[in-house]
Amino acid sequence: MDLINRRIAIRRLLFIAGGTLLLPACYRKSGKPTIELTHLVIEEEHENLLAELVETIIPSSNTSGGRELLLHLFVLKMVDDCHNPEDQAAFMAGLASFSTYAREKMGMDFITLEPNKRLAFLEEMKEVKDEQIKRFYAITKRRTIQGFVNSKYVMTDLKKYELVPGRYNGYVKMA
Amino acid sequence: MANLNIDDVKTRVFDAIVIGSGASGGWAAKEFTEKGLKTLVLERGRDVVHVKDYPTTNLYPYELEHRNEITYADKQTNPIANRCYAYREDTQHFFAKDEEHPYIQEKDFDWIRGYQVGGKSLIWARQTQRWSEYDFEGPARDGFAVDWPIRYHDIDPWYSYVERFVGIAGNKDGLSTLPDGDFLPGYPLNAAEDYFRQSVNQHFKNRHVISARCAHLSDPQPIHLQQGRVKCQHRVLCQRGCPFGGYFSSNASTLPWAQKTGNLTLRPHSVVHSILYDQESGKAKGVKVIDTESLEEIDFFAEVIFVNAAALNTNLILLNSKSDRFPEGLGNDNGLLGKYIAFHNYTARISAEYDGLLEYRTDGRNPAGGGYIPNFRNVDSQETDFLRGWAAAFSANRSQVRDTNGVGDALKNALLDDSKWSNWRIHSHMMAETIPKESNQVWLDASKTDKWGVPLLHISVDYAEDDWQRRKDYYEQMTAMYEAAGFKNIRTSNDSRRPGNDIHEMGGARMGNDAKTSLLNKWNQLHLCKNVYVTDGACMTSTATQNPTLTYMALTARAVDHAVKSLKKGTLLDGKQ
Repeated sequence: MDLINRRIAIRRLLFIAGGTLLLPACYRKSGKPTIELTHLVIEEEHENLLAELVETIIPSSNTSGGRELLLHLFVLKMVDDCHNPEDQAAFMAGLASFSTYAREKMGMDFITLEPNKRLAFLEEMKEVKDEQIKRFYAITKRRTIQGFVNSKYVMTDLKKYELVPGRYNGYVKMA
Repeated sequence: MANLNIDDVKTRVFDAIVIGSGASGGWAAKEFTEKGLKTLVLERGRDVVHVKDYPTTNLYPYELEHRNEITYADKQTNPIANRCYAYREDTQHFFAKDEEHPYIQEKDFDWIRGYQVGGKSLIWARQTQRWSEYDFEGPARDGFAVDWPIRYHDIDPWYSYVERFVGIAGNKDGLSTLPDGDFLPGYPLNAAEDYFRQSVNQHFKNRHVISARCAHLSDPQPIHLQQGRVKCQHRVLCQRGCPFGGYFSSNASTLPWAQKTGNLTLRPHSVVHSILYDQESGKAKGVKVIDTESLEEIDFFAEVIFVNAAALNTNLILLNSKSDRFPEGLGNDNGLLGKYIAFHNYTARISAEYDGLLEYRTDGRNPAGGGYIPNFRNVDSQETDFLRGWAAAFSANRSQVRDTNGVGDALKNALLDDSKWSNWRIHSHMMAETIPKESNQVWLDASKTDKWGVPLLHISVDYAEDDWQRRKDYYEQMTAMYEAAGFKNIRTSNDSRRPGNDIHEMGGARMGNDAKTSLLNKWNQLHLCKNVYVTDGACMTSTATQNPTLTYMALTARAVDHAVKSLKKGTLLDGKQ
């Protein structure tokens, strides 16, 4: 793929994620996030952790999952633009202590766990006491679900969103 | 004016000037231009050309940067606009922003405004019901406000005239409280709504659930196709502006129609400062405008002036039109201009669930939104300890249920599963009449102005005790109707919305028979300056319970007819016909 097409492809992907392009991942200065953010200060390692987290919440199977759909960037974009400063602070604090919590519970960083261990860890998130981790996880999960069901991929490839239904029937017999 | 160019005066003379390009201003423009008058339409905001200037109209949900959510920063900057139900990422460009357009709230009041060509007709809820004889007789019978100077028969043919051009979907329901009009086919009630209609018929006398009547083309006629509008496609994305012209807006309908006559001059970016009164002739001679781009002050002249700036801005302009003859505002000898502002009380909701008829669901989208319950309170006689009554919106829907408690494949499968449906969810909200009160008023600040030098408006409008009596009655009666239908989990909820958030502000320059107690006569002319007509919400003597826009449009067409006939006969200043 030549440079121009590659840029267009990446731009399209990021557009789907709802983010503004900073630089294509392979050209960016190491350590910086992929999308431009106003309020959140995100390191590359945070972004990578978030990518694995959204992938665990909605894994790829025979259909695309969270990481491929760039839902981690969507989560960041929405938290950065649509959440209040208290939510943003809790999100950042929760993101920072998420790995520590995983290490305590599972003996390893979340990102180095096997997929099934990651899933088991998330299934236990209901038990977490730390308010900031709880809030971070709740925000991330909610925004991941929103990003997934409202993605172009789901709305056009997996389901049929109708921009122009052209009809209304108030008495449809259930199948 | 330092650069006054004498030569250009004749380019600033028209037969008629219309202030405002929303639903009523658009109608004034259409009627005047069709009758051959050179007409200037002044709009304070920017131009919005049908389809071309609807930037979000064909966007898919995933093409909206924040999936239609408003950003936190915007919520902080524009709290008033953000409290409007229709203010979203896809529509926010059609709403006036708080900081750019300040006003002074003596009491909490959400002033929702659409400052662009088309005004709020782009973003309205499109519900259109006629007033009935009971509504026009209300103030006289019940002893509030002043008597309306017109009755139902005065406006009936004008309702028909407007309905045929606008296109109103509705059924002939045969109700004296909500007269039938010249309708296109109504949108049907769904299974649960229809069931409720039958249940109410069976258990209650004189109460009715009907299909909501709305300004949508369910079956376009030649007159609509000539406007370039086609059948409503059930997108229900109306407030983005409709590429089909499926619902009525000035932009899709009256303004392009007026344009085709060759008699229309549409001037956006023109904030009206005041109406210019000429003492010698005893009439208004024109309008002073501030061009918001050049900041120039420009006077335009005409034989007749229609004020359709939206209710509170119309009050503002009249109050600011001061002269030696009218030091307190144009036509305001009695001091009542800006007073008796009223609105609709929307502060109540009632929801429920229904487990019957689960063999049915809906498909597609209903542009009408569902059902409507016309007012049945105090109709033939006074039966409660509060005056007047309330109408209600009513709807039912089923949605797909998805369990989001899981994580991983379980969650993903649940999100992609379209097989599970909720039971019927039942919704209603109240639309109650309010009684105009002198204390509910607006006035101009003595020194503070906006960036164009126009005085800021003080707004002091509030609910009153009788509003809560009507609300209590709505809860009691609707609960009884829900219970009779076997609905469960019935929940009432007070809606904390502020006055103004109903976007039905009315009055301030009310119609009446007597110049001592009203501003406008039965033709919507200022009693004391008869070549100035007011036919937007400011003219309303009382509010009834109906969504008001259809009535403004009908009053406008009727008033233009009067103005043009009077001009031709030379009787405009007599106010007779």
